[in-house]
Amino acid sequence: MDAIRIPAPAELDALDDEHFRQVVRAFLHENYPDDLRNPPKRLHWDENRPWYMKLAERGWLCPGWPKEHGGLGLSPAKQIILTEEYERYGVARTNDHGIVMLGPLVIKYGTEEQKQRFLPKILTGEHIWCQGYSEPNAGSDLAALRTEAVLDGDEYVVNGQKIWTTLATDANWIFLLVRTDRQAKKQEGISFLLVDMKTPGITVRPIINLEMHDEFCEVFFDNVRVPKENLVGQLNKGWDMAKALLGFERIFLGSPRQSGYALSRLKLLAERMGIWEDAEFQDRYARLRLEFEDLKALYGTFVEKLKRGESLGPDVSMLKILQTELFQAITDTMLEIGGENAGLLEPMEGNRDLNIGGLFIQARPATIYGGSNEIQRNILSKNVLGLPG
Amino acid sequence: MSAALSGEDRAESIRMIRDSAAAVAPTGGDMKRVRDLRFQTPGFDPAVLRQMGEMGWIGLRLPEAAGGAGLGLGEACALAEELGGALVPEPLIPAMLSASLLAAVGAGPLERVVSGEALVLTAWQERPDTLEVPGSPDAPRRFLPMAAGAAVFLLPVREGGRIALYEQQAGAGLATEQTQDGGHLGTLEPNLGSATRIADDIGEALSLALDEAALLTSAYLLGGMDRAFAMTLDYLKTRQQFGKIIGTFQALQHKAADVRMQIALTRASIEAAAATLDAGATGDARRAVISRAKARAASSSMLVTRECIQLHGGIGYTDQYDVGLYLRKAMVMANLYGSAALHRRRFMATSPEIEE
Repeated sequence: MDAIRIPAPAELDALDDEHFRQVVRAFLHENYPDDLRNPPKRLHWDENRPWYMKLAERGWLCPGWPKEHGGLGLSPAKQIILTEEYERYGVARTNDHGIVMLGPLVIKYGTEEQKQRFLPKILTGEHIWCQGYSEPNAGSDLAALRTEAVLDGDEYVVNGQKIWTTLATDANWIFLLVRTDRQAKKQEGISFLLVDMKTPGITVRPIINLEMHDEFCEVFFDNVRVPKENLVGQLNKGWDMAKALLGFERIFLGSPRQSGYALSRLKLLAERMGIWEDAEFQDRYARLRLEFEDLKALYGTFVEKLKRGESLGPDVSMLKILQTELFQAITDTMLEIGGENAGLLEPMEGNRDLNIGGLFIQARPATIYGGSNEIQRNILSKNVLGLPG
Repeated sequence: MSAALSGEDRAESIRMIRDSAAAVAPTGGDMKRVRDLRFQTPGFDPAVLRQMGEMGWIGLRLPEAAGGAGLGLGEACALAEELGGALVPEPLIPAMLSASLLAAVGAGPLERVVSGEALVLTAWQERPDTLEVPGSPDAPRRFLPMAAGAAVFLLPVREGGRIALYEQQAGAGLATEQTQDGGHLGTLEPNLGSATRIADDIGEALSLALDEAALLTSAYLLGGMDRAFAMTLDYLKTRQQFGKIIGTFQALQHKAADVRMQIALTRASIEAAAATLDAGATGDARRAVISRAKARAASSSMLVTRECIQLHGGIGYTDQYDVGLYLRKAMVMANLYGSAALHRRRFMATSPEIEE
């Protein structure tokens, strides 16, 4: 690769888009650990820590944050390019809840004191955050959450349970949506609270998922006392704040990259199985390829919108539905053509990156998380098509 | 050439074309004209075809030097989409195909085609579901849209390694079969003895013209599915059963959401193809994007119009209600210039690898 000079972080947002893309490629080439490319599972902190700290050290950790808070101050267009290049290179996700969720929320709604206290510690890797939103009885219907915070003197006393908390075992801080008014309409009695995971009364229990991985956890709160200055924004406005934060990043749930990778695995598998040239298989593959290509084109129209400085409408839900269902359809096909190999727990003999069952199972939760596809279809029918409630 | 226009000028040019389409396809206009022409001969209004010529539509794609408007496929697709929304029966796309061919060879009755004074059809097809042009001198030429209204046929004929072009006046040797949408398809017996040879080598020009016709057909289908779905949404918002607006039922809402996604994918596919060609793509790159768009439009137009009938219930199954007109149009147009299956095969042949 030609030597491309990597400018100082503060200069990145001024580059033209194509130059910026080249810089990102060079940066990854230079800094990203080879053994972490395209990991088959979500990495834990002890695995992705070297990369996180490298990003921190180079000042690249928080692309979307404003420069005055230690971010790169990148436009949405450049953040998309950055994400595209990370995806292309097979960069693993880090423990990024502080970077993507909590940081922007504190920047937007936090007090000066909260900004001083929390943002620098995300940037140094000292605070690793997890997100406490879902509960056993508040999944798709998140606003039904019941974990309660009651003010007692200068402290909130938190009781309840969170679930599907990603990588909670790695985190030392958690941000919570908690009920602070039981009488109000369900969306209007929710607040946003920051909790040190070392506080007495917190229990974290990993859940083994279908990937046989412990990415998700349950987090229990038993009379956990939280200083009241850890409340972010106004009391009972937590729901609106969390919703307002769903910005253009929603587009990434619909990035076709995962399906593109799965298609390349499907082709490899078909070749291994000796059916690639088969006319029946070719037609099945062509259908999936065309879904992928047209999804890429549709995704491109949303990216163009962002580049023009427009914000995304509720129709972005289409991308998430189409991408995740295509990802599943591709892995379904792999399972159907793979014969006995499909049932293997480990990658196929001689193909380290051809793990049929693994990819198939990885595709399952995609239609559930980030707002299940049924919820996304509700959003489309009500907010895009204007069908009555 | 409009392909060189900047993004904003391009958008404006496309907006103007859409507005001008209202002359023939008025927004919210009724289907009386379309219904009156169904199952009649020739199945379209020659005066409207002439009007299309006057508006510059038939020569839309031709260079200005050839008497055309010099516009891109972005504009042409927008126009076809508007006409599809109104189910306009005049055979604009076949006329544009003939105009492209004649402009490329610089011979034959180009002016009569472009003005809309005469319907000139290119009789290239010898068997169903193909884009191949064998050019057999004696083989009947099949599936000629609205052939009963044609004044002239252009016959590609293979001579050695090339395909020459002959001009045959309409008259004897034409048989027609009615189609589901109220139009018809013709079969022509070639009569080269009485025809005039007007060009030596039209192979490349014809293959490009057929590709463009496939893309414009996709755009026409897009307009139809969009309009059929709009009617269906209106119905879902007003029709009551079980004491409720039926659009409140989640089963119907999710079906509607799926239809909306198909339409969005179709639009993205067609716009990507038009932009790719307007940017100068040729050869396999051209064929791949066209096939993608036509495969998508063919299958989604059937899916969308079928679902629109289902979402309407019994009223959708009556001939009197307009939504059925869109289904019947899709049944005919979906397979013109290559079916979804044909285009899937051609896509895989011309674009074997995923581009990174």
